[in-house]
Amino acid sequence: MSAVETDEPRVAAAPAEPVPGVAVADDEEEVGAPFLAQIWAVARKDLLLEARSRERLLSMGTFAVLVAVVFAFAVDPSIRARSIAGAMIWVTVLFAGTLGLGRSFALEREAEAITGVLLAPVDRGALFLGKWLANMVIVLAVEALIFPVFALFFTLSFQGSLPALAAVIVLATVGFMALGTLFGAVAANTRLGETLLPILLLPLLSPVVIFACAATQRLLVGRPVSDVVSQLKMLGAFDLVFLFVCAALFGAAVEE
Amino acid sequence: METTTPPRSPAQETRAAGGPAIDFGSLAGTRRAALVLGVIAAGLLLWALWMVFFYVPTEAEMGVVQRIFYVHVPSAWTAFMAFGIVALCGAGYLWLRDPKLDAIAVSAAELGLVFTTLVLITGPLWARLAWGAWWVWEPRLTLTLLLWFIYVGYFMVRGAAENPERGKRFAAILGVVGAIDIPLIHLSVQWWRSQHPKPVVMRPEGAQADPAILQTLFVSLFAFTFLFFSLLMLRYGMERLQQRVHALRAAPR
Repeated sequence: MSAVETDEPRVAAAPAEPVPGVAVADDEEEVGAPFLAQIWAVARKDLLLEARSRERLLSMGTFAVLVAVVFAFAVDPSIRARSIAGAMIWVTVLFAGTLGLGRSFALEREAEAITGVLLAPVDRGALFLGKWLANMVIVLAVEALIFPVFALFFTLSFQGSLPALAAVIVLATVGFMALGTLFGAVAANTRLGETLLPILLLPLLSPVVIFACAATQRLLVGRPVSDVVSQLKMLGAFDLVFLFVCAALFGAAVEE
Repeated sequence: METTTPPRSPAQETRAAGGPAIDFGSLAGTRRAALVLGVIAAGLLLWALWMVFFYVPTEAEMGVVQRIFYVHVPSAWTAFMAFGIVALCGAGYLWLRDPKLDAIAVSAAELGLVFTTLVLITGPLWARLAWGAWWVWEPRLTLTLLLWFIYVGYFMVRGAAENPERGKRFAAILGVVGAIDIPLIHLSVQWWRSQHPKPVVMRPEGAQADPAILQTLFVSLFAFTFLFFSLLMLRYGMERLQQRVHALRAAPR
């Protein structure tokens, strides 16, 4: 890499020289692109990479289907799958999701690409939300596969509760990916790398898992939607807290 | 005539080396405070032990095993307080990057882990006799165990980071996010129908228990709180010395 190439992003990232007499507003305003456009730019980059390689979708999807098959071996046939399917599905989602999150920052790390990303004129909060959005899309796609596969293998029926189930899935994924994106960045920068991610993530995710499993299980046994409203509210509350806290802390996780 | 540079203090040396600015002030005050708190804690602990064994009446329903409550509850209280300190000092460290805040946070995290371990040992000892099982998968127990794992992760991420400064930042992040779990544990007893005994002191209707039980509990709570702060000061002093050693090692000779 020539010196000119390495210097280029630095120039772009350097704050504009304050012109005498012209009041300079916040740092954020100097950066240029509006916050939402920055988020989209980061998410688009990650999604384009994924659309071209499809490595995360394929590995997570294959892993999830295999876990469903392993559950079929592992669970005693006398147990009605319907009574434990909520837990089975969410454990599968957690493991498959964690697998994919590990790759989210591994790519950035492999070619030191993270340096370039950090030098780009993007707010740290926008960088987090962009990464989060891309991870959301990928994991939701995997969940769109996992739920029908489990329904097929274990003869589950979600009919009649599909909108409520969709709400549970989306809300749970919001919190999962908020924590996952933050700790994906943390784990990628340690010696243990992706091995550390589940150790950090699984205990912290307990509120999300508790409410998502409870709501899914209730919908699965045909309880009315009004029975899961309190779980949805709790998921929403934790999502807001996790998104805010994780976006605020993300800068400290990626800086050199 | 030879030009000589004036001798520089170790702090200046570190700063010249681009290392973190380390305050080389005296730690004698910290040690003295730790000693004073430790003496008070020892006295209170002896008093609490006397109360537990000779003063408080045996609880009618659970019998003598209930006396473990005077170790179990103060340990839990101390652990939660410790993790609160970890979260506050972690957030402060991320904001101000003051190594002192990190030293407090890591000391508190270690003590929190020790006291959570005490909770997780005394709880099953009581449960074996009261519930007939060492462990039940019940929200409060499960979440306390998860809390223990969160702070095991705190030390793993601290040690696994490629440079120590990063490790401190990562640990601070985990400390802040982990603290969100604490109110969940506290509220879990109210939210879910749970086997775990309901709070007897911190409850909306006010305390409800024999006055002798409450007195013993409060003496024990004070004793554990003083013990915690005494150990925290000692450990903090040690952490600061360690930071100095690292800074001096990093400085050029």
